Amino acid sequence: MANVTLEHVTKSYEDVVAVDDMNLDIRDGEFVCLVGPSGCGKSTTMETIAGLTKPTEGTIKIGDRDVTKLPPKDRGVAMVFQNIALFPHMDVYDNISFGLRLRDYDKEEIDRRVERASDIVQLEGMLDRMPEEMSGGQRQRVAIARAIVREPDVFLMDEPLANLDAKLRVHMRTELQRLHKQLDTTIIYVTHDQAEAMTMSDRIAVINGGELQQIDPPLTCYNEPTNRFVAGFIGSPSMNMVDCELTPDGLESDSFAVDLDPATLSGTGVGDHVALGIRPEDVYPVEKADELTASTAPIEVTTDVLEPMGDEIFVYLKLEGAPEDETMEGERSSNSLLMSVDPDSDIAEDDQISVVLDASKLHLFDGDSGDAIAHGIVDIGAAAADSAVAESEGGD
Amino acid sequence: MATDPDSKSNLGPLSRWTNRIITDQDARDRLYRVLFYAITIFFLVTTLFPFYWLLVLALTPNNEILSGGWDLPFLRPQGFNLAAFQEVFQQIPFHLYVLNSFILATMTTIIVLVIASLAGYVFGRLEFPGRGLLMLGILMISYFPPAAFLLPLFDAFVGNAIEVPFLGVELFTPPRLVNTPGAMVLPFSALFLPLSIFILTTFYAQIPDGLEDAARVEGTTRLGALFRVIIPLSAPGVATAAVLTFISVYNEYFFSSIMSLQNEPQEWSPLVGGILSYQTQYTTEFNLMAAAAVVGVLPVVILVIIAQEKIVSGLTAGALKE
Repeated sequence: MANVTLEHVTKSYEDVVAVDDMNLDIRDGEFVCLVGPSGCGKSTTMETIAGLTKPTEGTIKIGDRDVTKLPPKDRGVAMVFQNIALFPHMDVYDNISFGLRLRDYDKEEIDRRVERASDIVQLEGMLDRMPEEMSGGQRQRVAIARAIVREPDVFLMDEPLANLDAKLRVHMRTELQRLHKQLDTTIIYVTHDQAEAMTMSDRIAVINGGELQQIDPPLTCYNEPTNRFVAGFIGSPSMNMVDCELTPDGLESDSFAVDLDPATLSGTGVGDHVALGIRPEDVYPVEKADELTASTAPIEVTTDVLEPMGDEIFVYLKLEGAPEDETMEGERSSNSLLMSVDPDSDIAEDDQISVVLDASKLHLFDGDSGDAIAHGIVDIGAAAADSAVAESEGGD
Repeated sequence: MATDPDSKSNLGPLSRWTNRIITDQDARDRLYRVLFYAITIFFLVTTLFPFYWLLVLALTPNNEILSGGWDLPFLRPQGFNLAAFQEVFQQIPFHLYVLNSFILATMTTIIVLVIASLAGYVFGRLEFPGRGLLMLGILMISYFPPAAFLLPLFDAFVGNAIEVPFLGVELFTPPRLVNTPGAMVLPFSALFLPLSIFILTTFYAQIPDGLEDAARVEGTTRLGALFRVIIPLSAPGVATAAVLTFISVYNEYFFSSIMSLQNEPQEWSPLVGGILSYQTQYTTEFNLMAAAAVVGVLPVVILVIIAQEKIVSGLTAGALKE
């Protein structure tokens, strides 16, 4: 019984609001990732749950208890820190048993639990080592053992893998998932790495500027982002964004147009500025247009830089007619598109090619607020797709 | 030409030597080694010579010292009078004076460490408005000459009523503290606190926040985290503050000579008071004073050796991985 509820939690410092009216309802046994860019307030949110920071306003409940005013030690939480934070003056056994010794467990019980915890994280035979004699991954496992040995209601993990090298990080990711399956305890996990969030969590809470943007299962966040920020943040490489204007015929950007009936869109009208979002894997060379149920008209582009990844190639496409412009943080310039193609495609740099967008995977965002207007515009009609094929054939 | 590097014969001996030091790695290493020993020996001599000279004086019979009949070589004892070390304890109960200083120093050190640890935690790890000003105020106390506090303290410690200046309104009558440890430990603690607070603030501020957070999540209070994690990791700083305070109080004479009215060991007269007891109106027994000084130094030497081991082990064990 340890669901975690945040109600209207706000944390403000003198002139900065770090967490702004956060409402979270995390279910018992759930693995939730708080994800967002640096300084978005995700760590502060976690610190308020741990009790290391007192919220300015709002209530925090763990299970059925209101813990808002309780000190960290009485909240039934355990935490794994980004900097690992093992006590350097204690050996592994003392580090793991620190919390148990403070709670006056008897010696046999402590031994039994330490043994079990070190078993789970595979630290047998290292109990008498000092932290400085261990590698980063081993230290991280000690920190996790220290957390699980107390059998807490809730695990808090604040970027626990951030200081590990890439290979170890992927390995520990799997281990953490296995651990979650084994312990079945609520885990709240803070990360700025959206890949970690996508792979590990039951639900992702995307936070930006201290505000919760979306809390949904990973694929929902990926396929139906509630706003432009989530769309750009989740997914790597991030979603293409092209500024458009809504005309009676559809969307019109500086370099291409997409046919659609504005009446099908609610919450926006002709003349409004919108952002068109499309993920790199939903941009196709025009030859593949007939494989799609619905696609846009072909778009003339010039290939720029190729990034072969092995399993796919990322192709940067220069849109014609689009001006050089300023970009939003974390997004590519809106005068270019990123396309992902098969590694065996014979595509070269500085080629003139045509591409189409998968209309069922288009996202529309309000130009001002960034809120999502629509995901997938399937009613573009077969006519557009047909004409695309016709044009591509005509071009050969 | 002197500017031609090939024609070294034109250079003087100093220039040639300098050139060789600059170009020749071996010569440079040799020079550094020589300089290292020269400077080390200089410091050793300046610090250890006073102790040697105390020993010389203690072993030389007093009449030899007074007559000034030092034969050559000059810096050696004139005779071997070990009896002086015995006489030190026979003439006066010198061990009681040593014990007094030791107890006063221990009490003060404990009080200072406890209060300075709490203050060091507050100043080093918490953010609050006015922190800088408050710290400055505490440091300012240590800038005052201790003598400035002497008169009012003495007035209070002999048991006179505390009055509001100029108004004559009586506030309270303090207990008579002269001739008790209280009259010495209280002012010592107040005077030596600022330095310890300053040292511990610096050390406690360096402990990563994550360690304290971890301790608090694991189940300690802030105070528990201070004593279980922050202080053990700041062992070198705590040892430094403790040793400085202990030695200062152990050597203290100014306050204690006044607060202990009769210079009697029963009245908590300190070590230096004992040493000065070998001086009377007509005689000064230099050899006994020197012997007493040697005896008095021993406890501190032992303490520092123990503490130093602690400092070194603290430095090697406390390597924080961030």
